[in-house]
Amino acid sequence: MAKKLVFLLTLLVVAGGSLSGMAKAVDFSGETVTWIIPYRVGGGSDVWSRVYSPYLSKYLPGEPTVVVKNMPGAASITGVNYFHRKAKPDGLTAVGSSGSTILHYLLGKKEVAYEFKDYNIVFGSPVDGITYIDPKFGVKSVADVKGLTEELVYASQGATSDDLVALLAYEMLGMKVKAVFGYKGRGAGRVAYEQGEASIDLQSVPAYVKNVLPLVEQGKAVPLFSYGVFDEQGNIVRDPIAPELPSFPEAYEMVHGKKPSGPAWEAWKAFFTAAFGIQKCMWLPKGTPEDVVAAFRKAAQDTLADPEFEKSLQTTLGGARQMVGVSAEKAFNAVLNVPETDKQWLINWLKDRYEVVID
Amino acid sequence: MLEALSQSFVTIFTFSHIVWLVTGVLAGLSIGVLPGLGGIVGMSILLPVIYGMEPDIAFALLVGMVAVIPTSDTFPSVLMGIPGSAASQATIMDGYPMAKRGEATRALSAAFTASLMGGLVGAVTLSLVIPIAKPLILAFGSPELFMLTVLGLSMVGILAGKRPIRGLLAACLGLVIGAIGAAPAAAEYRFTFGTEYMMDGIPLVVVGLGLFAFPEIIDLLIKGKAISEKTTIGRGWVKGVKDALAHKLLVLRCSFIGVIIGFLPGLGGSVVDWIAYGHVVQITKDKPQFGKGDIRGVIAPESANNAKEGGGLIPTLLFGIPGSGSMAVFLGGMLILGIQPGPSMVTEHLDLVYTSVWSLALANIVGAALCVILARPIAQLTKVRYAYIAPFMILIITLACYQATQTWGDLIALLVMGILGWIMKQFGWPRPAALIGYVLAANLETYLFISAQRFGWTWLWRPGVLVIGAIIVISLILGLRKTAAIDKAAQKSEAKQ
Repeated sequence: MAKKLVFLLTLLVVAGGSLSGMAKAVDFSGETVTWIIPYRVGGGSDVWSRVYSPYLSKYLPGEPTVVVKNMPGAASITGVNYFHRKAKPDGLTAVGSSGSTILHYLLGKKEVAYEFKDYNIVFGSPVDGITYIDPKFGVKSVADVKGLTEELVYASQGATSDDLVALLAYEMLGMKVKAVFGYKGRGAGRVAYEQGEASIDLQSVPAYVKNVLPLVEQGKAVPLFSYGVFDEQGNIVRDPIAPELPSFPEAYEMVHGKKPSGPAWEAWKAFFTAAFGIQKCMWLPKGTPEDVVAAFRKAAQDTLADPEFEKSLQTTLGGARQMVGVSAEKAFNAVLNVPETDKQWLINWLKDRYEVVID
Repeated sequence: MLEALSQSFVTIFTFSHIVWLVTGVLAGLSIGVLPGLGGIVGMSILLPVIYGMEPDIAFALLVGMVAVIPTSDTFPSVLMGIPGSAASQATIMDGYPMAKRGEATRALSAAFTASLMGGLVGAVTLSLVIPIAKPLILAFGSPELFMLTVLGLSMVGILAGKRPIRGLLAACLGLVIGAIGAAPAAAEYRFTFGTEYMMDGIPLVVVGLGLFAFPEIIDLLIKGKAISEKTTIGRGWVKGVKDALAHKLLVLRCSFIGVIIGFLPGLGGSVVDWIAYGHVVQITKDKPQFGKGDIRGVIAPESANNAKEGGGLIPTLLFGIPGSGSMAVFLGGMLILGIQPGPSMVTEHLDLVYTSVWSLALANIVGAALCVILARPIAQLTKVRYAYIAPFMILIITLACYQATQTWGDLIALLVMGILGWIMKQFGWPRPAALIGYVLAANLETYLFISAQRFGWTWLWRPGVLVIGAIIVISLILGLRKTAAIDKAAQKSEAKQ
């Protein structure tokens, strides 16, 4: 903690003093920055990194080549473990994390060797999701789920995937949802919904806009809530892309008449952060000099200001507000600071509810 | 619709499109020729290139590449008995014996002609099916997909020939190998023995090359001769084309099998060649020579595997759900280009859909033409003493396996699978059965698990399930009768001698 404080203070000094002056000392001319992506080519994280990498290359001091290196395996554990063991703190190796990277970290899987407390976050990208339901249950908005007695079916990838957040959300709203496991991704889940195999579903916002909005217009789906996005202060608020839908904390309040609290909520926040709130992050290894970290953060900041990038952000990454440096750090704290007892609560819940034993 | 179709036809013939399409075709041909490398590798290599390209040009490149891999991957399958990619495993069954007999050129040219026709059928179907694709895809729920997987598995009985029990046991072995790694429907890992490598299971390329390539190389080295037992390899290429044309109905049927399997998301294309092969073995009435070099055993899988790509593009473009591994990477490519796949593709990006159609058709023509030209010189390889070729082949298959996860585990797994394959070959256990079991293991389990969780026992009475169930029973009866008939014929001829 003390280390963190010192770091934050230094960062403040840097920010208040001469950020550009500090960054000038860092020079990557003629170097190659390797960005390890622990997922396969063509996956969501791969696309994300490939949208960012040419701009990082352009705005990092000395315009180094930024190369994306895919290192998939064991639900991203292989690649991040490799980063943990091999990356030197010289700014030439970075890693990208995504939902499952952090989920396994939070659940304390024994294969996980990496430790996010040690790394330096450069920036993070949120991906929001929207839950919708079959209109045959007569539910018009999330407030109506209170009286819902029928059992719903959710086509899920697995209890320890990003779906964990959705399953816990349904439970917290008091909905009876039967999870059917084994579907290969949310796309398969959506087809299952359209086939009638599932009656409640979750899609990321870009996929929702393309594939589910037409269903909503045809009266074949009713949106319930979005999971939400972080504001500058680190609160979970409505998604500006879908402002008509309540965020999950609001939905909870609409159903229960009070703000969410307790271990389920604390655990939900941590896993929400991992799977949605700041789903994909870029990290530099432990002990990277502060000026190097600052240079990376500045490059990310400049990227966001680039009008060309803005276009790709809208078309490819769903247009959510990206978080750089301190604001990313703040958001990620929900993952790092989740109390051990609340984490344990969730692990027990998984065991009781889905017979999942974490080892 | 017609206007858009002709519009994109004009576009595809602009200079830049043709150049990129041919680039894609050349890339696809080279990747297909190298044993073990298939569409996923090709897509992964080309994906970083397309960043910043115009979408229609990038589509020409990617579709051109993926369309011709099942054409050129026939070379190693026929000439060396080594699968060029997962799509041509069944081609080995009859193509390789033909090469040994000195008919490599005939087998290859029949294969390329069948590939070309299959590819064109795929392209035509892609363009026709788009308006009605949605209800078709939605008609296949998890129970139906489970039954289709069982149908695939039932081919094992047909392929095992005289010893159905061995086929069944080999398929079970394949299922066990397929069960290694993360369980498809529960948060569990199986048989990983605490290694990170085994958590993702044994990659397809390792199992395929281990079971087929490794034993073949060893045996050829032991024999110490060239692959072709005759010194001439025959001109035969006109004959091969004629063979394919003579069996045009077979080509058409197998093309439709290919399109349907490619079209159904979640089945994966890796068994399409085996299903087509099983089909031709089943329906042939006259005295077949399957397994010993029957040209129909080459034509069937080759027409199906090219048609598969046309089918596979439909769910990828219209639903954003990939039908195969290479389509999953293609999907990422679409996102990089800023295109969200979905039903709106038909309204917003109809030009791209039709660019894919034309690219598919054109690539198949160019690819088949190039392969026919190359067939004769490349077939000469079968005349070379194998000891000279073996080191290169070992190097190539080792590299191909290593690219699967790029860890030591790949090489160790290749060795283990190779020894297993060699033992199976020595003692006459059907390796195709083991491979089919392995490929279908995950689907079989997933869809059964989902069906049972979701529907209890009621899924058994769904009309689709009943229909596919009936097809399975009929195909098994036909297959077993056939085997019995072959057995009888064999006994008769033995008695005569």
